[in-house]
Amino acid sequence: MPEGAGGRGEEAGRPAVLDELAAAPHRLVLSAVADPEVMDLVHSMLEHLFTHNPQVSDPVRVKFEMSVIEILGNIVEHAYAHDSALPAVDPSEARRFEIQLLATDREVVATLSDNGMPVSLDLGDLSMPDELAESGRGLALAASALDTLWFERVEGRNHWCLACNLG
Amino acid sequence: MELDVSTRDDGIAVVVPRGRLNMVSARQLKETLSDLVAGGSARIVVDLGETTFLDSSGLGALIGGLKAARQAGGDLRVARPTPAVVSVFELTNLDRVLRARESVETAFDA
Repeated sequence: MPEGAGGRGEEAGRPAVLDELAAAPHRLVLSAVADPEVMDLVHSMLEHLFTHNPQVSDPVRVKFEMSVIEILGNIVEHAYAHDSALPAVDPSEARRFEIQLLATDREVVATLSDNGMPVSLDLGDLSMPDELAESGRGLALAASALDTLWFERVEGRNHWCLACNLG
Repeated sequence: MELDVSTRDDGIAVVVPRGRLNMVSARQLKETLSDLVAGGSARIVVDLGETTFLDSSGLGALIGGLKAARQAGGDLRVARPTPAVVSVFELTNLDRVLRARESVETAFDA
């Protein structure tokens, strides 16, 4: 069970690695419009991170990349659901997100934040849907692949922290 | 992602997604599978030997194709999944519903 999944996400403790991430010179950062086309760019960032961090094993790479893309997909979908409901969106008000990636000797970490709609979720109750369901697996899949999945909403922004332990 | 589609002499359609199967490319796969079934090809093999990434959207497209094929009296089978794909099948417990076959050629043999 990932950290942060034991109760409601916003009540769970803030992961200590967030302080380390903010000061890490090798972290990768991207700020961009939350549209589907940006997914490939994030895949490329992950590829760069893994190329320069051979301590991250292949199984961990697979789980971490899938989880980051699931959460980003969630952000993009919410952003689109919101923007498409408006008559016309001023490009300057488009939904944006920021992602940071870091690999240490102990873990591989991602933070994602966005200015999207409030996300209503209970990280303590993420179960897989019926096996023939065509959607609804994203967060459950990320939660089962990660060692840490943490979420909070602060001052109109959603903040996510994802981590896989190494070794 | 590139998507190759071909139909064998025995009528079985073979779909090969090359590259990443994510939120963007899953729509393309879902439409392709749906068009195949609508066009009378209800026996489909999805060759995952060159699929380097799979997420829940890609899974959804495969499940959607599976249901459509079965409703039309056929089936959808997956072959040669890469480790990245196997990992996602296992995490979602869908490795029984989407049982991986060793080869495209024999995917419908049993």
